[in-house]
Amino acid sequence: MPKMTIPIGPQHPVLKEPLGFLLTVEGERILDSVLRIGYVHRGIERLCQERSYVQNLYLMERVCGICSHVHTTTYCQGVEALLGLEVPPRGLNLRILLCELERIHSHLLWLGVLAENIGLTAVFMYAWRDREIALDIMEELSGGRVAHSANVIGGVRIDMDAEQVHSVLVRLDQLEQLMDAFLGVIRHERSFRARTRNVGHLSAEQVLRYCVVGPVARASGVDVDLRRDAPYAVYDRLHLEVITHDNGDVWARTLVRALETVESLHLCRQLLTGLPDGPTAVRAPRRVPPGEVVSRAEAPRGELFYYIRSDGSEKPARIKIRTPTLTTLITLRDQLRGIHTADVPTVLAGVDLCIACADR
Amino acid sequence: MLERIVRWARRKSPWILHFNTGGCNGCDIEILDLLTPRYDVERLGILKEASPRHADVLLCTGAVTRQSRDRLRRIYEQMPVPRWVVAMGSCSCSGGVFQGGSNVLGGVDQVVPVDMYLPGCPCRPEAMIDGLARLLEAIE
Amino acid sequence: MNVDLIVEALREVFPAETIEVRPVPLDEVFVALPPSCIHPAVRLLVERFNLRHLSAITGQDLGDGIELLYHFWDGRGLTLRTTLPLEATSIVTLTDLIPGAAFFEREVSEMLRVSFNGHPDLRVLLMPDDWDGQPVMRQGGGE
Repeated sequence: MPKMTIPIGPQHPVLKEPLGFLLTVEGERILDSVLRIGYVHRGIERLCQERSYVQNLYLMERVCGICSHVHTTTYCQGVEALLGLEVPPRGLNLRILLCELERIHSHLLWLGVLAENIGLTAVFMYAWRDREIALDIMEELSGGRVAHSANVIGGVRIDMDAEQVHSVLVRLDQLEQLMDAFLGVIRHERSFRARTRNVGHLSAEQVLRYCVVGPVARASGVDVDLRRDAPYAVYDRLHLEVITHDNGDVWARTLVRALETVESLHLCRQLLTGLPDGPTAVRAPRRVPPGEVVSRAEAPRGELFYYIRSDGSEKPARIKIRTPTLTTLITLRDQLRGIHTADVPTVLAGVDLCIACADR
Repeated sequence: MLERIVRWARRKSPWILHFNTGGCNGCDIEILDLLTPRYDVERLGILKEASPRHADVLLCTGAVTRQSRDRLRRIYEQMPVPRWVVAMGSCSCSGGVFQGGSNVLGGVDQVVPVDMYLPGCPCRPEAMIDGLARLLEAIE
Repeated sequence: MNVDLIVEALREVFPAETIEVRPVPLDEVFVALPPSCIHPAVRLLVERFNLRHLSAITGQDLGDGIELLYHFWDGRGLTLRTTLPLEATSIVTLTDLIPGAAFFEREVSEMLRVSFNGHPDLRVLLMPDDWDGQPVMRQGGGE
């Protein structure tokens, strides 16, 4: 049978972001693939050398719209370490509360996108409807559904009163009940299992070789989660269960992310019921003393890495961002090899791509 | 007579194509949110199409990067006339927060003619529905 | 990961005048080595200590040289740093030991014009098709 080359993207219905693939296909089977990214490359690492640390806060927020808060969290953590600032406990609690709410919204978003790619449009609609609960909470706290601007260098600029805490707790309970339906679909729905089991398989050895992070690694049996292994902010005071699975296919990743959403709901509850009193931020000077810092956080897609170097001025000398999606992109060539063309949307959705993060 | 029916049909069912030319994804997820139960733009006749050849309105998000420029032009040319372009979000209006980036050309109007500018970072779904409704009135 | 054990092992292998160890926030240790020692050092990390997770490779233009930082992590962070002279910006690739370094090296290669000898595929990663070849992250680079 003759080989054909099929281009996918940058504009394609299964892709939410521009990404280029050249698939070499023989009949219905993929033989090989070539990846092209860079459509969303905005040169952020270069741009942030020309702006002050405070201006860069708004730039870091817009590296990615889905995980914007964790980008600013990692950035602020690094700059606060260079400045020697200690964020007050109430500020840290609220910062991590938004991190976990963002994880919930990101995983539900992804569940909807995967379901739509497979053809289960009903799950897409239900997941995004339920995601609105998390977005409403984030909007009430910060004023923005997607870009919150809640972090400032030195803490957070948001606060909550007791009535708000109670109202959020009630809605988190509602969301946890709604998650049962999704877990039921993932575990028992035969057509969902048929589409996602044994598709896009990655072994634990492949995960370690390619330095993959996040739910993709955890679904292949690699037990790593920065929140437990290198606790930052208030994670050392929270009870967290790290979800892993051994299957390594798209189905395992779906289950891991759904269970992580439920775990995030538990974390939010702990953060709200144990919310300490006090200020939410300390004042930060504009000029950062010379030095360098490595800051890491667990974004919804895995380990987010920041390296910041300061030369003593108001503008950073170098900010290096390594986003988790970049590590999963390498694995796509292995995952796509040998599968049917009909499984390509499932595999692409299964790794939870965030090309805006990868390209920066 | 046929003219009136065609115009009525065009106004009652604008099919959209969404293309991200270099944005952070914030506006894109708000566009997808339009299709979901809370905002539900299908009641306005709006459907998200897969191919440029089926679409009436091109929703652009994100600043135009050098790599995306030619693809955006080609997609615009593939859309059958009459076609409209909506620049959603501050980045596609003017480049937004990425102005001056080494790979960033600026707003979408550097490459294709724009009929409606919707600022916001990200653009809220309510603003998007308002903008689309005004575009439909202007088509009339 | 016991960082102190690893640092001790590195000190045993590499001469004292070539190696420099410094703690860096947040909970990192930076080890400076000459460029030719990086590949053997990483081989030691992978084979003796099973330290295989490379978080990132940072490249920066310091004016008088290009600095490369290889950030490893296994509970705590360990970074190997090396400076390449401006007239010889090339170094051996790590992809034979850690295949996950492939994309990181591609990015450093195009942003700073560093060549990684032995890399299987140094195509552009992020730069557009009509890129003029100028490394954006070099001092004075970029529009």
